[in-house]
Amino acid sequence: MSAPSVLRHGRVSIALHALRGGAGRALLCLHALGGRAADWEALADAWPGPVHALDFAGHGASGWVRGGAYSPELLAGDADVALARLGDAWLAGTGLGAWVALLVAGARPAHVAGALLLPGAGLAGAGAQPDPQAELDTAWQRASDAQQPAPAGSTASDPLAVLLESDFRPPDYAEAFAARARRLLLLEDGAPRPPWWEAVAASPRAERVSGSAAEALVRLAG
Amino acid sequence: MTPTYPGAVAPERSRLVESLGIRLRVHEWGDPEAPPLVLCHGMFDHARGFDTLAPLLAERFRVVAIDARGHGDSDWADAYGWQVDLADIANVLRDLGRPAHLLGHSKGGGQATDVACQLPDRVRQVMNLDGFGPSPEGFRPPGFEVDARSVPERFADFLDRRRADEERAWRPYASLEDLVTRRRRMNPRLSPEWLRYFLLHASREVEGGRVWKVDPLAAGGFGPWKTEWIAPGWQRLRAPLLAVIGSEPDTWGPLPEALLGERLAFVPRLERATVQGAGHFIHMERPRETAALALDWLER
Repeated sequence: MSAPSVLRHGRVSIALHALRGGAGRALLCLHALGGRAADWEALADAWPGPVHALDFAGHGASGWVRGGAYSPELLAGDADVALARLGDAWLAGTGLGAWVALLVAGARPAHVAGALLLPGAGLAGAGAQPDPQAELDTAWQRASDAQQPAPAGSTASDPLAVLLESDFRPPDYAEAFAARARRLLLLEDGAPRPPWWEAVAASPRAERVSGSAAEALVRLAG
Repeated sequence: MTPTYPGAVAPERSRLVESLGIRLRVHEWGDPEAPPLVLCHGMFDHARGFDTLAPLLAERFRVVAIDARGHGDSDWADAYGWQVDLADIANVLRDLGRPAHLLGHSKGGGQATDVACQLPDRVRQVMNLDGFGPSPEGFRPPGFEVDARSVPERFADFLDRRRADEERAWRPYASLEDLVTRRRRMNPRLSPEWLRYFLLHASREVEGGRVWKVDPLAAGGFGPWKTEWIAPGWQRLRAPLLAVIGSEPDTWGPLPEALLGERLAFVPRLERATVQGAGHFIHMERPRETAALALDWLER
């Protein structure tokens, strides 16, 4: 990969990688929890136009969020500054990136023609809502214990990014975003999906697809 | 000139505690060997707002007041959220190295309560000063307008603000008196004399006047959070909770009794108290009465 463009989102620098050049409709790819832009290299050739992939804050070549207050809505801001750079784009997201793609597709329907949601790390978050009976998940304690400075030149993810596993994703919230998105494709592979995904799949703007991720991308482009 | 206010005592000791890469300013009063009592302030406030309460508590406790990240003299972060605020309080508890009592006001009261739920071995008793969350309609400060748009439309606004965040900064106010006037619009129950003291420490001098110390990004996150999520988790609370409200309703509290009672019903070991003549800023309006409650209830 060539050197990424560096965008500013608030106080954090965000790396946007051009994976494939070309004319026509751009695809903006959003990686999974713990992932990075390079995860999309194999899929990029399935898209007929230019392909860009983001490193979310705390991941890949992007900066880390000082103090660790990561949230999907903050990462949606990362994707949104990339969208501002590209003008208009299709979105593809894996796991946590699929949830973020839904948020951006619903908030920016004038600029996002459609989004492909793929399973992957960070798809479920901490579930649909807090469960007062459940085992306590003090992700922030694990994060605090894990905290360490970034090794020089490393592209390891910020240990505090584990806080991205502690947010709740209620179906009605997902549904509100799905209702405003222009087109959503959800890749099914027989594995169980979190409640928010099922709520999105039931929306009139959404369609379940099966097969490979590359085939689903072709379908999005068509 | 060092400002004074009747009963206000500056901290005896101040230090920094690191939490998730953020340096938190922590102020202390009282014998370092006494049982620790940690104080957590509310949104847009700071630890020096306890300058009238803390010296009264210090007769029996090592009083430890935290400037929340982005507030007072603590570091600013790149972003803010409830969970990392809890982590900050937990890291101060860890730094103390022994179980402590928690006393929090407003947002700090809600966070103290949540920390006690999550760290039952580190928290002994919790005193929550009107920090039981907003009603489903939310707080309605002067000038507030209901936003009836859909969640994604409001989220688009949030994203628009994020695109411009890099440049966001407070404009300087010409004088301390202007800050007092501004804050009194939000909190008309707080006296100009107290606000002169409290806001001097809430602001710093810059060219052309004074600016708030608080990070302009510290408020205004976005997420699917719901008010019905506030109280059910309090079932976990092992520590006794003293729930305190003021007798005088204002913009920020207390909740209607039916709703407050519904939320507090989740607390296993609950006691309640009402401070007469106080609005939402219970400890600032009635520091002596608040301290008397604490000294009577803690380690009774």
